Amino acid sequence: MIRRTVLVVLGLVWLGPAYLLIVNASRPATSYDPGRAWAPPGELALFANFATALESADLGASLAGTLLYSVVSPLLGVVVGALAGYTIVVLRLRHGFRWFLLIFGGTVFPSQMLLVPLFVGYSDAGLYDTRAGMILIYTAVNVPLAAFVLRNFYSGMAFSIFEAARMDGASTFRIFWRVYLPISTSALMAVFILEFTFVWNDLIFGLTLTQTAAVRPVMTALAGLMTDVYAGTPVPVGLAAGLVCSLPTVVLFLATQRLFARGLSLGSV
Amino acid sequence: MTRAPMLGRFRHGYVAPAVLLVAALLYAPFVWTAYLSLTRYDGLSSPEWIGPANFAELLGDPALLTSTRNTLIWVAGTMILPVGLGLLVAVLSYDIRGGAWFRVPFMLPYALSGAGLALVWSPVLSHGGIANALLGVDTAFLQEAPANTLAMLLVWTWQQVGVNTLLFVVGLQSIPREPVEAARLDGASGWRLFRHVIWPLMRPLTAVVVGLALVASLKTFDIVWVLTQGGPGRNSETLAVTMYKETFVASEYGYGSAVAVMLTVVTGLASYLYLRRQVR
Repeated sequence: MIRRTVLVVLGLVWLGPAYLLIVNASRPATSYDPGRAWAPPGELALFANFATALESADLGASLAGTLLYSVVSPLLGVVVGALAGYTIVVLRLRHGFRWFLLIFGGTVFPSQMLLVPLFVGYSDAGLYDTRAGMILIYTAVNVPLAAFVLRNFYSGMAFSIFEAARMDGASTFRIFWRVYLPISTSALMAVFILEFTFVWNDLIFGLTLTQTAAVRPVMTALAGLMTDVYAGTPVPVGLAAGLVCSLPTVVLFLATQRLFARGLSLGSV
Repeated sequence: MTRAPMLGRFRHGYVAPAVLLVAALLYAPFVWTAYLSLTRYDGLSSPEWIGPANFAELLGDPALLTSTRNTLIWVAGTMILPVGLGLLVAVLSYDIRGGAWFRVPFMLPYALSGAGLALVWSPVLSHGGIANALLGVDTAFLQEAPANTLAMLLVWTWQQVGVNTLLFVVGLQSIPREPVEAARLDGASGWRLFRHVIWPLMRPLTAVVVGLALVASLKTFDIVWVLTQGGPGRNSETLAVTMYKETFVASEYGYGSAVAVMLTVVTGLASYLYLRRQVR
């Protein structure tokens, strides 16, 4: 009984701010008043508010760019990482474990250690403020995790699968593409979801490597909207933008929850 | 006719994309930053070698002292609040009927991510904002240090408890039944059962959760950047924010790189000491 009481009280404390945010994001922009923040909105204006944000902050272009980054980079990262994992484990690359450590070691560096050279290097190479540049860095950041999970996944598979396909005359790449990749779909999906979320939520690479709305990732664009919340953008518009732009990762996570759990447990064999 | 060898001839070609991406975009910048930390550099003219002078300057820089203090508040606060409360909610709810429903309120805030989280809390915490109006006080929550860091820590707690709860619940549900049942038969219950039987059994998972939180909190950036940009003045900066501002606001690329190196060393050292303690 005490346990339930504590849980309910804590839960209410947690729901309070959630209620405030949703209610005030749904309120028509003109009727916002901090003193009456608890009051339910008269009419639902969540999407009208979001539309205003799309227009005034050019969030539409940012969202399109971010969708591109957070789909393409994880896809590339997952395939490149899986190919490396396959080569190291199944093709028994010489010094394979060292190559694996080299690739996985890339996760150790805090992003702050990368920013200055990336900024300067991107400026010199004409990659600064380009979508190609953003896809490139996000892909590189995603490779180590993919290599890690898929290496584990493939080392749990019987070598006879490979041998049989090889006897049939398939090339090593064809075996990777037609046999190993399809078998590991669940692990690939789990990594893809983690990486999608990472890219969608990224702030710092966007802040450092982009400038224009069309290239700027959405979280960086939202952070820019911030100064405007103080400087005249109505509060409900800012709240609606924050809520709606967070939705894709939630939807993806909820839609794939079971697959996600299964994929990760397979990957950790 | 000679057959291709069983394992193929082109193996190095297959790891090449991964190795090249990681080498060019992660390793090379890492080494370059380490070099730049020993130079004076404005990003335009070429870097000028000055040896460890940046690090000497770091030690006497009052702004760095502030951001180190704030970073420590973030680390300690993360252990106590998001991790501690996550553990509490998990332990209270994992084996009662309908436990998953009791956890829903804590999972909701997880929908918001770094910048989105900060964006929606800004009108709550700002001076003259919702919190002021509802609490009937006139405190500027994001002005005074270290109160502004604590306010942001509470926002962070609101978001993070859910995911920590989830991890702890998974851990609690996977501990073996037998020792717990045996202890129950011996008359252990409540706090003693938890302290002497359950807690030791879930230690491996706790180690992972605490380790992840430790590393993440040392690198706190997003929420601070969006809510205060490290201000007012520089009083809510963390090490990661200081690095960013020195580099891209003040154009002190060499000095900013030195802060990045320091952050890396601190993170590495903390992880090492923590891991060693756990393994022993």
